[in-house]
Amino acid sequence: MTLRSLLRHEALLALILALALAVLAIDNERFFTAANLLNQGRLMTEVGLIAVVMTFVIITGGIDLSVGSILGLCAILVGVFWKTLGLPLPVAMALCLVVGTVAGFLNGWIITRFRVPPLIATLATLALYRGLAEGISQAQSIRGYPSWFFVLGQGNFLGIPTQLWLLALVAIVGFFILRFTAFGRATYAIGNNEMGAEFSGIDVTRTKLLIYSASGFVSALAALVFVSRVSTTRSDMGTGIELDVITAVVLGGTSIFGGRGLVVGTLIGLCLVQVLKNGLALSGVKGDGTIVIIGFVLIAAVLISNLLKRYSSD
Amino acid sequence: MRTLLALLLGTSLLSAPAMAQSAWTGGDGAPANPLACDASVTPVPPGEYNGGSPTGAPDRKGKPLKVVDIPKLVGVGYFNSTSQGIQEAAKETGSMTVTTDGPTKANIDEQITFIDNYITSGVDGILFAANDPVAIAPVLKRALEAGINVVGYDADAEADARQWFVNQAQPNGVAKALLDQLASEVGEDASFAIVTSTFTTPNQSRWISEMQGYAEKCHPKLKFLETVEAQEDNILSFNQAQTLINKYGDELKGILGMTSVATPAAAEAVQQNKLCGKVSVVGLALPNAMKPYINGDCIKSTVLWSTVDLGYAAGLAMRAVADGTLKPGDTSFKAGRLGDLQVVNQSQILLGAPKIFTKADINNFDF
Repeated sequence: MTLRSLLRHEALLALILALALAVLAIDNERFFTAANLLNQGRLMTEVGLIAVVMTFVIITGGIDLSVGSILGLCAILVGVFWKTLGLPLPVAMALCLVVGTVAGFLNGWIITRFRVPPLIATLATLALYRGLAEGISQAQSIRGYPSWFFVLGQGNFLGIPTQLWLLALVAIVGFFILRFTAFGRATYAIGNNEMGAEFSGIDVTRTKLLIYSASGFVSALAALVFVSRVSTTRSDMGTGIELDVITAVVLGGTSIFGGRGLVVGTLIGLCLVQVLKNGLALSGVKGDGTIVIIGFVLIAAVLISNLLKRYSSD
Repeated sequence: MRTLLALLLGTSLLSAPAMAQSAWTGGDGAPANPLACDASVTPVPPGEYNGGSPTGAPDRKGKPLKVVDIPKLVGVGYFNSTSQGIQEAAKETGSMTVTTDGPTKANIDEQITFIDNYITSGVDGILFAANDPVAIAPVLKRALEAGINVVGYDADAEADARQWFVNQAQPNGVAKALLDQLASEVGEDASFAIVTSTFTTPNQSRWISEMQGYAEKCHPKLKFLETVEAQEDNILSFNQAQTLINKYGDELKGILGMTSVATPAAAEAVQQNKLCGKVSVVGLALPNAMKPYINGDCIKSTVLWSTVDLGYAAGLAMRAVADGTLKPGDTSFKAGRLGDLQVVNQSQILLGAPKIFTKADINNFDF
């Protein structure tokens, strides 16, 4: 497992992305316009924010299925804190981030303290958090946010959608931590050999707790962006988003068995899926057809990458 | 492990007051506007137009129209039949091409993305059935700003985010039809439960709130047990109906199905439990789905509007809006074979009162 073999998958994926961009741009003149591409950036931010931290989670050999439910719970709570409890909106937003982090911490705590496999632990909290969101909201949507709040999800900063700046910030922080810090090296070590990492003095429990808490935090952040983008809160927000997130991460070359993956790969995977969805829709492919094509591209990307890896390691 | 249990218990206790808040769960909480208990109907003037208008739209009068129809979800009988009606309208006008496309789950985020992409691809008109009236509004407003004609049907958006909305039935009309039918089948003091799609779906939650208002006014002795969610999912609806039957036993006299999926599934559960005649199923469903139960004398009726007519009216409204023949201030709309439809609530076209299909006439309908 060298850096070179890692780069191969990401490089290949970037090539596929460039190819997809070129084909779709030739096929449809409305696709390759700044307005359309920036708009797509707006649509993929929520998935992207969560995917950056999900990369860490999957590198440790874990998984977090509860991100969509945390998103739903936090979205509801912004409204409840602000409108029902009458707190100022900035305070409500901060509290929502706290709740998201605590929810993520709870995931990490169940996983590390009771040695519950992440798949099962977060499957349980997926139901738990969604149930809380529905119970607390009582199916009431909360609307009528002040206009400054919509800047986050609908506004622009220096001509670029506001939330893309946020995504860029989170991605850069994620990239830096994973690539250049002891924490990043610990993350890879846990994924490669958890017992070995433990023996070499890495605090596995603390690392995992931090990662799952961060996962909850970005889910809450995504909730704020989501509420601001669609201007209302609903308890079913973010249903199924975990699959989009995992798709981006795994397509981006992160191994589901842990120990391998890059934030850059995740971002390319994310862009590839979004570009395909948008470009195919603009070219007149219907929704169900788009899903089928994306499925094929996923399989093809992983197959080619595996094939290359086999020949390169011989 | 003990701490974990204590924590979970604590969380569930905390959420208990929220659960116990309202007797009628699943409603949207907005005030109800119940109709009179008898059949008297007082026509209300529509009031001032409050819909939006496209900016800088080209003159589309008589020109070919490229229209996209984005229902809540694709691949279910309900929206297949509205789409059939829209195609019928397109054929009749001879100058519209309509594509139906949309999410495979009733998911607001995906629906927004679909609309967004069709705005970019450049269409003349958008027909929609909203998964959430507020969440869909910003993207529809962008469509209007891009000069696209926007007409809704089945489930509305905020009024200024579209031009017109074809309303299949007013919520208080649906509530009255369902509860009157229920009371006539199970008696005035029986107990009933509701199977709905989800608590967040605007149509269903509006109807439930209206039913609450109408029940208090006209059927005060009917006993409401609970509302369960079953999404638009066949198996889940069946399971939820089965659970209600097991949970309440003889007490349960009626099940109200709020979706075209839940009603036949509840009927199936009643039939499999050999409770035909003991438990009534009243609800909204497509006639074809209910024929086996109604022809087999297990269920007495199904309530609905003609979904084909709904799509048909929406299609014609789109053409009329593009031509400028349907404009703010109109009080009625000439809808081809449906005749004159009334304009209500400022910018809605009302299809009519809901229809109750029984064994006597259900076999005359095929949708």
